[in-house]
Amino acid sequence: MNLRRYRLLVWKEFLQLRRDPLLLSIVFVMPVLQLIMFGYVVGADVTHLPTAVVDHDHTVTSRTLVHAFESSTYFDVTERPTAESALQPLFDSTRVRVAVVIDRGTEAALLRGETAEVGIVVDGADSKTASVAGGYAGQVIASFNARRISAAARGGGPVLDSRVRVMFNPSLRAVNAMVPGLVATILMISVMAVMSQAVVRERARGTLEQMMVTPISRAEYLAGKVTPYALIAVVQMTFIALIGRLWFGVPFNGDLVTVPLGLTLFMFTSIGLGLLISLISRTQQQAQQMTMFYMIPVMVLSGFMFPIESMPAAIVPLTYFIPLRYALVVLRASFLKGSGVLDLWVQLVAMLAFALLIFGVAVTRFQKRLSE
Amino acid sequence: MGAGRRVGAIARKELIHISRDWRILVGVAVLPLVQLLLFAYAISFDVRNVPTIVYDSDNTAQSRSYVDAATNAGFFHVTRYVSSGSEIDGVFDRGEARVAIVISRGFGTAISSGGTARAAVLVDGSEPNSAELGRTYALALNNAFGRSALVSWSATRGASRSIGALEPRLRTWYNPERSSADFLVPGLMVVIIMIVTVQQTAVTLVRERAQGTLEQLLVSPLTRSELILGKVLPWVVLGFLDTIGITAIAIAIFNVPLRGDISVLAVSMFLFVLCSLSIGLVISAIAPTLESANLVALLVSFLPGFMLSGMAFPLASIPVVLQGVSYLFPGRYMVEIARGVFLRGAGWSILGGQVLALCAYAAIGLGLATLLNRQRV
Repeated sequence: MNLRRYRLLVWKEFLQLRRDPLLLSIVFVMPVLQLIMFGYVVGADVTHLPTAVVDHDHTVTSRTLVHAFESSTYFDVTERPTAESALQPLFDSTRVRVAVVIDRGTEAALLRGETAEVGIVVDGADSKTASVAGGYAGQVIASFNARRISAAARGGGPVLDSRVRVMFNPSLRAVNAMVPGLVATILMISVMAVMSQAVVRERARGTLEQMMVTPISRAEYLAGKVTPYALIAVVQMTFIALIGRLWFGVPFNGDLVTVPLGLTLFMFTSIGLGLLISLISRTQQQAQQMTMFYMIPVMVLSGFMFPIESMPAAIVPLTYFIPLRYALVVLRASFLKGSGVLDLWVQLVAMLAFALLIFGVAVTRFQKRLSE
Repeated sequence: MGAGRRVGAIARKELIHISRDWRILVGVAVLPLVQLLLFAYAISFDVRNVPTIVYDSDNTAQSRSYVDAATNAGFFHVTRYVSSGSEIDGVFDRGEARVAIVISRGFGTAISSGGTARAAVLVDGSEPNSAELGRTYALALNNAFGRSALVSWSATRGASRSIGALEPRLRTWYNPERSSADFLVPGLMVVIIMIVTVQQTAVTLVRERAQGTLEQLLVSPLTRSELILGKVLPWVVLGFLDTIGITAIAIAIFNVPLRGDISVLAVSMFLFVLCSLSIGLVISAIAPTLESANLVALLVSFLPGFMLSGMAFPLASIPVVLQGVSYLFPGRYMVEIARGVFLRGAGWSILGGQVLALCAYAAIGLGLATLLNRQRV
């Protein structure tokens, strides 16, 4: 390894990058766009759902319940039809997403000490609404019940004092969980998009041949290719993490060992994969398509958008082959919970193993291709 | 030579291009299928069996019945019992459990003697969706347990006391079984069609320009709008075939219902394909190189297509500025239509406005593509 040759290679890559407006835009514009999109769209908390209330009971109890829904930030009571049949057109035209139906005799049933059902109708055509609205309604009803029970207990008797406490992210802001994962995901997308082009471009332009007749060794060449992108990736990650911290107000409880260590290991798996794609593709377009083909399943299966716990058991083993999966666990845990290296060693070792494996394959692959 | 024949010739040329490049066929036929299967199988919106640890420092019949009540609902899945409070932190830090049920000493005595029984349910908020549900279940559990404790305490003292309670009865309209395929497929097909068509057409004009064949085409009697039309035609057919394929898979394999007026779906899908193609052509007309065309197509089709179409994330809850941006992409109209037709059973009267929007979009988009292409040459 000759340091001077290595330095010159790195310098050449930087020069090339500086003079290619397209690459520059991938490196700097794309992450910002993604951060905005994910931070504001995926991180948006679903609140103020347009809600219809059908009150057949017309009693103090039913009005109290309706008031509880009105004062919750999750629901905006916008329609008060008198009959249930009026709900269908409201849902069909998407004017409401949720309906609360209070049957006649609800108050009477409560006074008799019975359990009365409250109908909660959610719009199943909209997945997100359907999955959260039921839970929100359940909470409104639970606190309604809790007030009645504690009122009843004033006459003497056991009281259950069981607090439900949300740890690490007490306000349950979606963006708090989104940004740590986003640091890793954006890193992966932009590093792979750039890296997958790095070698194949030289091959297409014929400069790879030229490079190979110089005294530069393969190791120097690969190291020279990887270093500039690794440096850029570090800048990107810091940038995204800072925006997340300062603009989106995401808490950072992690330590400055675990987070950089996890990110560095993950960065090497991404760089290695990009390099591998670049080495095995014949044209630039092929490289781009392979990158796309890899990234879509990764986004879905890594747990970035949808929790792995709720995936079918047959799919779960597949997720262990995705480096992003481990990076997400490390980043979320250390950002939000302050977990340290000792807590997360399994994930860190897994990423290290992936990085070594991928780079190993890339290096052997590179030698083979040149001897062709 | 008539305009029809010239358009036909360009369309035939384009088809030959497509049929000789196997990668395009993979992109058009295989990729959509993989994406469809992946999303529809891997994503589930129902959270169950959340790993839960229990720290029961009371260990009486009452405390055990509290834990039993928690696990019976199928949401909390007890994976471990720990014997000290400090172990809980480690379990959360390592991500081994998402919920901890903690029962204080004296719980059982308090329940049977009418005192205050202390317990806590700790929920890991780093996964907001399941944490929100965990909170809901825990609150309902506390109510049910507290109520029955009060009632049975009164009963042992010979006094009958009754406390009524409300219980939510959840109904999910349009998708009563809450199948994730029903939730996803109608929106997903829109996104897939958008990605495929925008990506493929974005490169067509750039490629011709790079190879110098655009010059040749322009010195022929072909007019520019005929060129655009001829370029678009094969892709309209392919995009439409993709739609039919995805719809067939959705109905046959995933049992997604098709409740509404199929003519609305057909007409609007046709218009939507035109809209996506016009986006691709606009990119193709302004992009300087093949590489940049590819990249812009990726950005435009993936980010707004996926994020701003309302397919996975409700548009009503995103910031107003981004809501405004979402109107600039045809995805949001089409997702509304696809969901309306597949799940809500809607017809022309409800979706007419959205179809009109697509119609206007297609007209403006194609006009813009022709115009931009004219300026470039």
